[in-house]
Amino acid sequence: MKKIDNKKKIMLIISAAILLAGIIVIATLGFNFDLRYQETKRVELFLDKQFEVSDIKQITNEVLDNSPVVIQKVEEFEDTVAITAKDITEEQKNNLVTKINEKYGTELSADTTEITVVPHTRGRDLVKPYIMPLLIATLIIVVYMLIRYYKVGALTVLLATIIGVDFTQALLFSIIAITRIPVGRLTMPMIIVIYLLTLVVLTNVFENKLEKIKLTEKKNK
Amino acid sequence: MKKIKILTIILAVILVAMVAFLGIYTKTQNRMENKIEGYSYAMDIKGARTVTLKVSDGTKTVIKDSEGKEVNDAENLTDEELAEKGYTKEENTYNPEEVLTIENYKKTKEIIEERLKKLNIQNYIVRLNETTGDITIELEENDDTDYIVSNLQTTGKFEIIDTETKEVLMNNDDIKLANVMYSNNSNSSTSTTNSGTSVYLNIEFNKEGSKKLEEITKTYVKVEDKTSDDTSEDADEEDDGIEGKIEEEVDAEPETESEDKDATEKTITMKVDDEDIVTTSFEEPIEIGKLQLTVGQATTDTKTLKDYVQQASNMATALDVENMPVKYEIGENEYVASDITTKELHEIKYAFAVVVLIAAGILCIRFKTKGIISGIAYIGLFAILMLLIRYTNVVLAIDGLFGIALVLILEYIFINKILGKMKTLNVKEAVKESYKEFFIRIIPIAIAVITFCFIKWIPISSFGMVMFWGISLIAIYNFAIFQNLLRIKTENK
Repeated sequence: MKKIDNKKKIMLIISAAILLAGIIVIATLGFNFDLRYQETKRVELFLDKQFEVSDIKQITNEVLDNSPVVIQKVEEFEDTVAITAKDITEEQKNNLVTKINEKYGTELSADTTEITVVPHTRGRDLVKPYIMPLLIATLIIVVYMLIRYYKVGALTVLLATIIGVDFTQALLFSIIAITRIPVGRLTMPMIIVIYLLTLVVLTNVFENKLEKIKLTEKKNK
Repeated sequence: MKKIKILTIILAVILVAMVAFLGIYTKTQNRMENKIEGYSYAMDIKGARTVTLKVSDGTKTVIKDSEGKEVNDAENLTDEELAEKGYTKEENTYNPEEVLTIENYKKTKEIIEERLKKLNIQNYIVRLNETTGDITIELEENDDTDYIVSNLQTTGKFEIIDTETKEVLMNNDDIKLANVMYSNNSNSSTSTTNSGTSVYLNIEFNKEGSKKLEEITKTYVKVEDKTSDDTSEDADEEDDGIEGKIEEEVDAEPETESEDKDATEKTITMKVDDEDIVTTSFEEPIEIGKLQLTVGQATTDTKTLKDYVQQASNMATALDVENMPVKYEIGENEYVASDITTKELHEIKYAFAVVVLIAAGILCIRFKTKGIISGIAYIGLFAILMLLIRYTNVVLAIDGLFGIALVLILEYIFINKILGKMKTLNVKEAVKESYKEFFIRIIPIAIAVITFCFIKWIPISSFGMVMFWGISLIAIYNFAIFQNLLRIKTENK
């Protein structure tokens, strides 16, 4: 028992340390957002022919020094390429245009090619659509848990569920912040999956406790 | 006999898997076409309409008379004619300097998001450049996107003004809500012939606004012996739609004005975004605080009706939400494909297939012959799930892909549970115990999943729908197919 308690203590200390570190990182550095959600610069080039994204990637790696880029096909005929990067200077734009002209035989002009600024997406705009559904689901789930596991103790179930879910989510956000994993379109689905798996674990714990209580009641009868 | 049964079921599962992953190809017009329905992808996988709204730096010409009142229909007058009449011409910017603040840009962004919600748009990204005020919006590309885009640049400024004096009698502050209503029209009360459905823009005013409306309808009264060009507040009598009415009023105004001069009838003009919508006076006072304007004409044609509904919805949304403090113009408006290419999408499918094969392999290694059956059943469930997603029109977003992964995890756990219990129990009891234990433990997931299915946000509903079909399939498929396979296998011994 002492070993188990020590293990639990160590786990709690480690979790607390991660949470604390996470809070400090979030407060000072914030999250590391994926390129698609940062303020970026974009260039659109009309090639008038089909192209492979991998070919454009080779060119951008050369011109933009292997910095992360997002390459997208534009319009129905996919004959225009949109290149988005953290920063594109005038010189880099000129080089891009030159290399594209060389590769595709186009006559694009750097003068008529604009660098547009793509504004950032706020983190809260990413999270906002998920808040209400998760709150509603959690509320219904808590009510269900209170009804099903009333023998375990309403306060225990309530606190364990709320703290358990919040704790795992906070831990997850802290890990994301500390490890600088880019926050992007994979983040929220990942959070939902962790949220659901947390609920499964909690339900498992409560079910086991309930079974023990039922066994004890049977024995006493 | 039992071997044949097992073989038949396994072959059926393999066939379904082949259909799901490879498709059924038939020759159509000299090319091979896959008859299996394709996937519907959300904008994060497929692509989005990207619209950039730029802060308007345009100007509007305002002609004023000697008293400083705005004069309509004087744009065609030459400078000499203007001078003769004592009119002055001014160039006013749509957006004065004092309006171009970060607070107003942020407010406009919120208004746009509010409008998109009211238009029932279930997936969008709105970005604001706080320096320039430009707003970039990404929307799902479908038949309605053009209507939505046309709505985005309207400021939603509503005014009821005195046609002559240009005094603003009512504005956005008086509106409580605006929505779209329909009515089915019959040719006569005794006839069963349907002349079509009419679409109305219904504007309800708040308490203050209702009082003002009542006053206006008592003041701007229709004078008797009017021509048929006059309009009333009774929407049923209005034949032409909002756009038609502008044309009608352009033709009718000279007559109306001359009649005004003769009969001293006062009229009001309803304006949206500084454009005249209707000029009218009222036969009776309106005490209920509502105005109904017909949009288009009564029609039985579905497409035309849909167009009218779209027009009315756009107008209603613009009026229902606060009007934008800054006027915008559409800059870029283009379809941008997702950076997830078709090749990468195939790679994701192959990755799933590889994971499923590995899981099936692990089952084979752990549970030997039962594991082989389980592995095939596992692949079969994945195949049926993918077919279900296609045929139930589930829109697949990235969240949906995570849903598929979670379903596969749950199924793997479930199969392991059954096979684990079969070490001590027979098939029937093992399956029964496993169902009881497993589904009790995933009730919270089921609750969350059902909640997500009803959410009007595509990524969340995609996850919800995939999980819903996945959990339903786990329940039904394992009972109907997997249990029978195991039963036949163990009885075979």
